[in-house]
Amino acid sequence: MTRSLEELEAFVVEGKVTIPMTYSAGAVGSRFLIEMRDNKRIMGMRCSKCNIVYIPPRSTCPDCFAELNEWVEVSDKGTVVTYTVAHQPSPVLPTEPLVVYGIIQLDGAGTGFVHMLGEVKPEELRVGMRVKAVFREERTASILDIKYFRPLK
Amino acid sequence: MGKEPTQEYIQVQINTPRPYRWSTGKYLGKLYKEAKGHKKLVTNRCTKCKELVYPPQMVCGRCKVEAGQDWVEMSDKGTVVQYTYLIFPRWDPHLGEYYASPYPSATILLDSGLYLRSRLEEKDTQKLKRGMRVQAVWKEEGRGRGQDDIEYFRIIEEPEVDK
Repeated sequence: MTRSLEELEAFVVEGKVTIPMTYSAGAVGSRFLIEMRDNKRIMGMRCSKCNIVYIPPRSTCPDCFAELNEWVEVSDKGTVVTYTVAHQPSPVLPTEPLVVYGIIQLDGAGTGFVHMLGEVKPEELRVGMRVKAVFREERTASILDIKYFRPLK
Repeated sequence: MGKEPTQEYIQVQINTPRPYRWSTGKYLGKLYKEAKGHKKLVTNRCTKCKELVYPPQMVCGRCKVEAGQDWVEMSDKGTVVQYTYLIFPRWDPHLGEYYASPYPSATILLDSGLYLRSRLEEKDTQKLKRGMRVQAVWKEEGRGRGQDDIEYFRIIEEPEVDK
């Protein structure tokens, strides 16, 4: 039983809502973004008590609540821990689909880092593949200064 | 702490438009369709109490019975009952932009007996009066939002009504 919208006398309202939002990345988050913008470096924060390097860096250890200030540089290469593929176009996606999201364990980091994977077909994806960060030419101190992670040959 | 160099702080900005769509249903859809297609304001009259139901809806708010299909077209002329002058810029969340401001906003009693709140074309507060006769000017390209497709009401040369 299919009835057309015309028959149902329905009217569909198309709308668009834009709510501008600004927030401060804070002292630790700002330095993380600035290091990516200026030096193409991915910086983490180490908790010496728990011996974990947090990526993205944070000012407090979530396990022992210690205040952290030990900055360490982590590699721009890493291993894919898990991934998913977004097919449905959506305004919240950073680029056009297909968007491949991955959690990447960077070398020297203790936590997974969520970002996009690129230059890879969905069927070639696998857990454990080695990837490397590709930085944009024009960087604006945003998380998207890393364009995506591409597979290492 | 004082010897640390002052650092740059990053402001993260998110400004992505989010499109959405929703179905109005039968009654409100008729108002929106007539406004968009024919630049007319229509509503239904309750078959029991014979009062206008606006915006058009299935159930009459007074009688709590099905309002019925007695559709009436509203007159595009009316009388200013009261007015105010809006100076503070209003944010339209459906478009993500500000309304042009300042502008006078008025309650208008249409000749069909319906009270509407809309804006007035005349921006000179000295020329605004209660009891003025006004006529609706529709937008060139309506968004299909019924009453919101009326750009403003324009003052017309007709004898003022004692209000």
